[in-house]
Order: sequence, then C-alpha cells, then structure tokens
Amino acid sequence: MSGSSKSNPALSGAGGLAGALFGPIAMTLHEVGGLALFIQLIVKTALTTSGNTPAILEQILSIVSRSLATVTFAGTFVGAIIVLQFNAVLMVYDAQIFLGGLNTSAIVREIGPLMITFILAGKIGAFTAAELGTMRVTEQIDAVECLGTNPVQYLVLPRFIGIVISSLILLALGIMISMVGSTFVAVVLAGMNPIQYMSTITRFVGGWTLFCGAAKSLIYGIIVGGVACHKGYTARGGARGVGTAVTQAALYMSLFVILANYITSNTLNFLYDFLGTALGWVEG
Amino acid sequence: MSIRFENLSKSFGPKTVLKDVSFEVAKGEILFILGKSGMGKSVTLKHIVGVLKPDEGRVFVDGQDVTRLDDNGLADVRRKCGMVFQHPALLDSLSVYQNVSFGLRTPQFIRSQPRPLTEDEIRTRVTETLRLVNLGPDIFDRYPPEISYGMQKRVSLARTLAPGPTYLLFDEPTTGLDPITTNAVNDLVYELSRKLKVTSVVVSHDMQCALKIADRVLVLDNAGILALQTVPEIKRSREPLIRDFLAETLALLPPEERAELEAQP
Repeated sequence: MSGSSKSNPALSGAGGLAGALFGPIAMTLHEVGGLALFIQLIVKTALTTSGNTPAILEQILSIVSRSLATVTFAGTFVGAIIVLQFNAVLMVYDAQIFLGGLNTSAIVREIGPLMITFILAGKIGAFTAAELGTMRVTEQIDAVECLGTNPVQYLVLPRFIGIVISSLILLALGIMISMVGSTFVAVVLAGMNPIQYMSTITRFVGGWTLFCGAAKSLIYGIIVGGVACHKGYTARGGARGVGTAVTQAALYMSLFVILANYITSNTLNFLYDFLGTALGWVEG
Repeated sequence: MSIRFENLSKSFGPKTVLKDVSFEVAKGEILFILGKSGMGKSVTLKHIVGVLKPDEGRVFVDGQDVTRLDDNGLADVRRKCGMVFQHPALLDSLSVYQNVSFGLRTPQFIRSQPRPLTEDEIRTRVTETLRLVNLGPDIFDRYPPEISYGMQKRVSLARTLAPGPTYLLFDEPTTGLDPITTNAVNDLVYELSRKLKVTSVVVSHDMQCALKIADRVLVLDNAGILALQTVPEIKRSREPLIRDFLAETLALLPPEERAELEAQP
C-alpha cells in the first residue's frame, strides 16, 4: 500500500487542500514566534546594556521628519473624508451636532493609529528592512559583531525604539492635522459653525479614548518596528534575499497590525466594560 | 597560544558543510584555507569568532572554548581576532575616520586599555593604521560609497588592524579586485602578518598567493580536510583537486617556479 496517498487523487486532493489551508496558518504562526523571540532579544538588550540614546534620538528625529509631509497630507484628507461620510448619515437623523465628537473619536481611537501605522510601515518599515537586510548580506552586521559591538544594541535597538516612539509622536501630530482638515470641511462643505462642531468633542473624546489611541499606536509601532527589524536582520542571500525580506516585512506588518487591531479593540472594549461595572466609571 | 578546531561539524539544513574537522593554527603562522566554492571555507573562519555556532565539536582560541563562551567572553575573543570580510563591510553611514576608529570605541577595547584613548590618540592611531594600508588622512571625511572598491577593502583592513588584534582572519581579501590591487593586498597581508607578528588565517581561491605567502595550506573538500601541508608539500601533492588549483596558477608563476611545479609527477 505504499504510496497510496500519492496515487489516490481524492487523498492527494485532500492533502493539497489541507496544505493550502494550514500551510499559511503554520507559516504565520512561525512568523509570530520568530517575531516574539526577536522582540524578546531587543527587550533583553535594552535592559542589559547601556542602550544607545544618541542613535535613538537621531532615529526619532529622522523618522518624524521623513514622515511629516505624508502624515500631513493623509491626516488632512482622512479627517475630511470621515466628516463627509459621518455628515451624510447624521443629516438623515438631524444629529449633525454630534459630527465633531464622532469624527474626532473615530480618528483618535481607530483611524489615526491605523493611518499612522500604515504610513510608518510603507515608508519607514520597508526602508528599515531593506537597510538592515543590505547590512546583513554585505556582512556589515557581522563586521560590527566581530569588532566587539553588540549589533542588536548598536543597529536594531535605535531603529526599533525610534519607530515605536515616532508612531506616538506622529499619532499626536496626525490627530491634530486631521482635526484641522475635518473642521475645515465641516465648516466649508457641511455649513457648520466651528464652535458648534467642536462643542461635542469633549463629550466623545476623554482620557479613555486618548488611552485607546495611544495604546493601539504603541502596539502597532512595536509590530512595525519588530517585523521590519526582524526581517532585515535575518535576511539571507544577496539582493534577492533583501527583496524577499522587504516583501515579507510589508506583508507581515499589514497582517499582524490588522490582527492586533481586532484583538486590541476587543480587549479595550472588555476593559472599558469591566471598569464601568467595577468602578462605575463611564466616559463622556 | 593558538587556534584549534576539534571535531567540528556544521550543517545548513540538509547540507553538511563541515564534518568532523580538526586542525590547529600555530602562533605566528600564516595558514591558507583553500577549496572550491561552498566547501565551508568562510564557515570555518566564522566559527573562530563565534559568528556561527557548530552543530558538534569545539573551537579554541588561546585555550578558550569559543563555542561555550557567553556574550562578554565572545566579545573578548573578537577583540583579539581581527576579521577582514569578503565584502569591505564598512558602515555606509559612517565616514572613513569613523569606520576605522569604530573598534577603538567599543567597551571591550576600552576595558583592555589602562585608560580610554583621547580623541587625539584615536586620530593618531587611525592615521598610522591607514598609512599601513597605504592610505592617507585625506580620505578621513569621505564616506564608503565615495571611494573605490579597492580603497574600501584597504579601509576595511585598517579598521580591523586599528584595535591591534592578535589574530588576523581574512575571508577572500582579494575578491573583486583588479590584478594589481590583488597583488598589493596580498603583499600587504604578508607584510602585516610578519611586521605585526600576528597569526593569520586566510580564506582564498588564490593558490598563487598561497604559494607565495603561506606557511601551510589547508584544502577543504567534501566537508572535510583534503590536505593540511606546508607549501613545498602542496607543490608535490598528487591530489587531483590540488593539482587543478596548481595548474590554474602555473601561467602566473615565474619561469623557475613553473618549471619546478611542472617537474612534479
């Protein structure tokens, strides 16, 4: 009976289907494991070495300055688009008064962190994976190691922390810019009074909303920084290897952020309900 | 004190690159490691500095088992071993001066000195080291992409020499160089090894260079050691692979050496 599974088309088809279904799942789990171990290595390096503060500050400055124009452009238009969408629905229910609050809450909690993350992933994450990948395949990382310097401390830590902190800074900037864009559209196209537009913001956006936005941005920043550094640092095999590393980094950054968005949204909602029940605390 | 490999084995996936390899490099010796591509020459070298871990076996540097050292121990071994890579491997974001002085600012180097070097002392050391590889301070502020590949190789060599290593490890130091620069780098390897009295291990395809400057030649083939012999013994070898390597160099040798090799059975 040897080789029956090969000769039986039904079994072979079933095997192929199982492979097609479970192959990507196994691959994703493998990537999650690799990423977790790599982030553990970065955290251990951060805790057990003297860090690399000047390089971290340099990275933050570089990332923020390189992303500012894109964040300004995207922030303005995303804020404007959401105002248009919400306004169309709220007008039906004669509830335009809530436009400012709803719009700002959506941007702070959900759209802002995602928008900043995807900008960071596309612009800085891909760059970081390509930069570290090139350093790996041209033996620059090996050279740093052979000169007695910890390459994770010297090369990875500043880039990782730079991306994580920059994601928070860019979130704050992005929210402010999108508020300007959305207010402009609310006033010019929806005909709202700016004072009236802003009056409901504090009702919808409090400490909890800001915490949710910051927490999500922090988690997404860790994912983008971790995946980009991991894929670049472990690249193998010349120019093709660097290309593969960048492609995989782009893919896994997007997949993991979407997955993390679902998990964090659920967790934060659960936490909000729990705090509301236990402490009687309700925002807004 | 020396470098010693004991029954080292290393595989990458299904491919066994080294199997049960044992040899020793004596103090002050220049050992050439020759072999076809993919025979584990660079892999052997990278085990000395602990960049790669063996599947089995041990590597000793000055009596310390590199395979069992922690990060600090490894960093100390790496400070003793200067490694010149196949690529120049210079950090693109640093100037020539910053690249060459890199090893003088590492915690391991500073710990090994009575006191940290002042910036003036670092500048002097960088100037002297660049002079050893026939480069001047006029390129201090240039960045690696702004200088030729040959100069990058020399800067890379200077970066390795600056902290004063006890062992020099060269991974195909002449790959990608024109014949004139190749000769210059080979002469440099010989001069530096003799002048600085360091132990050198050179991974190369270049039999001509091996015949010229090596004390002994180790030939790797089929995951093991095919030969570990002195240069005169290598010249007399009847191993087909070694004869092939020798044949490649015949045309490049001076007439008297060519005649000597051709006279071998």
